[in-house]
Amino acid sequence: MIEVEDLRKEYDGLVAVDDVSFAAGPGEIFGLLGPNGAGKSTTIGCISGLLMPTAGRVRVQGHDVAREPRAAKSGMGIVPQEVALYEDLPAEENLRFWGEAYGLRGQPLAERVREVLEIVGLSDRAADLVETFSGGMKRRLNFGCGIVHRPQVLLLDEPTVGVDPQSRVRLLDLVREQATAGVCVLYTTHYMEEAEQLCDRLAILDHGRIIAAGTLEDLRGSMGERDLVRLSGAFDPEAIRESMRSLDEVEIVSSGAEQIALAVPGASRRLPEILSAVAAGGGVVRETTVTRPSLESLFIRLTGKELRE
Amino acid sequence: MRFILATARKDLLRIRRDWPALLLWMGIPLMVGGLLVVMFGGDATPTARLLVADRDGSLVARLLTGVFEQGPVGEIVEVEAVELEEGRRRIEDGDASGLLVIPERFGRAVLDGEPATLELVTNPSQSVLPGILEEMLDLALEASEVLRRLFDEPIDRILLDVDGEGSPADSTVASIATAFNRAGEGARGWLLPPAIELETVALAEGEEFDFGRAFFPGMLILALLFMATGLSTDLWSERRSGTLRRAVVAPRGAGTIVAGKWLAGSAALALVSAVGLAAGRWAFGIEIADPLLAFFWLALVGTGLLALFTLVQLLARSERGGNVLVNAVTLPLAMLGGSFFPFETMPSWMAQIGQTTPNGWALLRLRAIVDGAAEPGLLAVSAVAVLSVVIVLGWIVARRLGSWAA
Repeated sequence: MIEVEDLRKEYDGLVAVDDVSFAAGPGEIFGLLGPNGAGKSTTIGCISGLLMPTAGRVRVQGHDVAREPRAAKSGMGIVPQEVALYEDLPAEENLRFWGEAYGLRGQPLAERVREVLEIVGLSDRAADLVETFSGGMKRRLNFGCGIVHRPQVLLLDEPTVGVDPQSRVRLLDLVREQATAGVCVLYTTHYMEEAEQLCDRLAILDHGRIIAAGTLEDLRGSMGERDLVRLSGAFDPEAIRESMRSLDEVEIVSSGAEQIALAVPGASRRLPEILSAVAAGGGVVRETTVTRPSLESLFIRLTGKELRE
Repeated sequence: MRFILATARKDLLRIRRDWPALLLWMGIPLMVGGLLVVMFGGDATPTARLLVADRDGSLVARLLTGVFEQGPVGEIVEVEAVELEEGRRRIEDGDASGLLVIPERFGRAVLDGEPATLELVTNPSQSVLPGILEEMLDLALEASEVLRRLFDEPIDRILLDVDGEGSPADSTVASIATAFNRAGEGARGWLLPPAIELETVALAEGEEFDFGRAFFPGMLILALLFMATGLSTDLWSERRSGTLRRAVVAPRGAGTIVAGKWLAGSAALALVSAVGLAAGRWAFGIEIADPLLAFFWLALVGTGLLALFTLVQLLARSERGGNVLVNAVTLPLAMLGGSFFPFETMPSWMAQIGQTTPNGWALLRLRAIVDGAAEPGLLAVSAVAVLSVVIVLGWIVARRLGSWAA
C-alpha cells in the first residue's frame, strides 16, 4: 500500500531526509519513531504529495505520488500534526467539507458524516463551533476529518500531541480500529510508549536517516537482553572508561561529566560491581536508573541521546 | 467543479460568521465618502453672513449694501441689517463672517467726492469668507469712485436738488435723466465696444461638478479594495491552522482551492457592491444610469483585486510581512486611484498616473457606467482583460500555493 524507496529531501542544501526506504501493507500500523526534527513530518509530506522529493520514489496503492498524484491521493487520508480544522465552522461542516474534498456528496456524505461523528464521540456536539471544543475533542475531530472518506491508506503525523490521557487512549483505539478494518496506517510519533503499544513494525529515524527498522521484537532483540543503566552524578569520563574495562559485557553507551549510560545484561545483579568501578574511576553517583530493554533504551543505545531531547 | 463549489460554500459560511468584518468593509468607505462629501461638496455650500450697521441710511449706503446681495455674490453672502451694538456683540461671538459699519453722512461724502471711512470687522476664526467680503467691499468702493467721475454732472444736479426741500420737480428729473444720457453717450467711446469681450458659456444641465457623484464610485472601489485586502489574508489563517496544507494534498489540488476561495470572495464582493450601489441610490440620491452593469463591473473588478492581493500575500515570507506588503500596495492605490481624491482635484500628472493604477482604471469605467457614458465595446474589452488577468493570476497562485502552504 505504501512503498518508499531511497527517499531524499533537501531544503536549500540542508538534507532533511536521506535514503529512507520502507513499505507498509494493508491492515498494518507502521510507525516512524524519532525525536523532533528527525525527518518524520518531511517523510509524511513526501508521501502525501505536499512535498516534492529531491530523489527517490513514493508509491501509494501502486500509484507514483509524483506522476499520478490524483490517483495516489484519492485513497489516502491525512491527520496532520496540527489541528487542521475550521474553528469558525461547526464540527459537521468540517467533516462535510473534507468529505467533499475527496469526492463524497449527497446522501452518502451526510450518512458518513453522522457515522464519523459517532465514531469520534462528537454526535452531541455536531452543530457546535469547533472553537468551543476542548483540545481532546478537536484532536478527535481532526482524526475524523482524515477518515471521513474511508481511506485505504491513513497517514497520522503525531496525532496525540498535547492530548489528555483519556483522549489519547480513545485516539489510539480509533487508530487500531482503522487497521483492523484493513487500512494501512503510517503513524509518526516521538512517544515510545505509543509506538510500543500500537505499531506492528517500526522505523527509527534520526537526522533524516533510518537507524533501525523491524518489528518491536526485532528491535528489542537487537538490544540483546541488556538493560540500560543510567547513572547521574559527577564523573571524569576518561577515568570511568578506564575503570569499566575490567567489567565483562558492559558497554558504555554514552558518557559525560554528569551522566553515564551503560548497556548491561542482568543489570540489577551487577549494580554493586558497576558502582565500585565508578567509584574507582573517581565518580560520585547521585542517582541510578535501570531500564528493561525498550525502544527508548534502543534509541539511546543507537544515538547516545534520549528520544525527547 | 464540485470541490470548487464546496470550497466556496465553506468560505462563504466563514465570511457570514465574520459579519462584523463584512459590515466594516462596507461601512468604512461609505463613512469616508459621506464625510468627504459633507466637507467638500454636496449641498453644503459655504455662506458668509455679513452684518450691516447702516448709520447713514442714504441711497448710496443702500446701493453699497446691495452689492453683496446681487448676482453670484448673493449666493454666498447673506446680508443682515443690525444695530451697531448688536453687530459688535455678535461678531465677537463668532456669529458672522463680518460686520460692516456705514457711518453717518457716508453717502453725502461719496457724492461730494470727499474722503469717507467704512469699518469692516471680520471674524478671526474664519479665513476664506472674510477675505471674500473684504475683496467685494474694495471692488464696490472702486466702482463708486469710477461712477462718481463718469456721472459727474447728473450727480451734481442731484446734490443741488437734494439740498432743497421736498421732491425734485419733474423738469429737474428730466434734466438729470438727460444729463445721465449725455454722460453715458460721452463714455460710449471707451465703454462700447468693451475693451474686454467676455464670452459666457452656460454649462449644460447636469454638467456641474457634483462632489457626491464624483466621490461615490471611488468609494465603491475603495470598499472593494479594502475587502479584497481582507479576504486575501484568509490564506494566512488557513496556513496557520494547517487547513491549507490539508487541502492542497487532497486529490483536486491547489487550483480548485484557489478557484473556490475566489468564487466565495467574488460573491461577498458582489454583495458589498450591491449594497453600496443601493446605498448610493437611496441614501445619497445618486442616479446610476445602468445599475446592473455597474454591479457586474464592480464584482469583476473586486475579483481582480482579490486575485492581485492573493498573489501579493504569497510573495511574503510571514503573515506580518504579508500584511505590510499588502498595505504598502493598497494605500498608494487608494490615494492615487481616485478614491480618496477625485481625479478632477488632482494635478494632471498625478491624475494620469492614478488612472493607470488597476483601481483608477476600473474607476474610470465605473464612472462612465454610472453616468451612462460607457462605450459597450470598450467595456467588453475591459471585462475580458480583467477576466484574463484573474485567470493568469489564478494559474500563478495555484502553482505557488502548494510549496507556500508547506
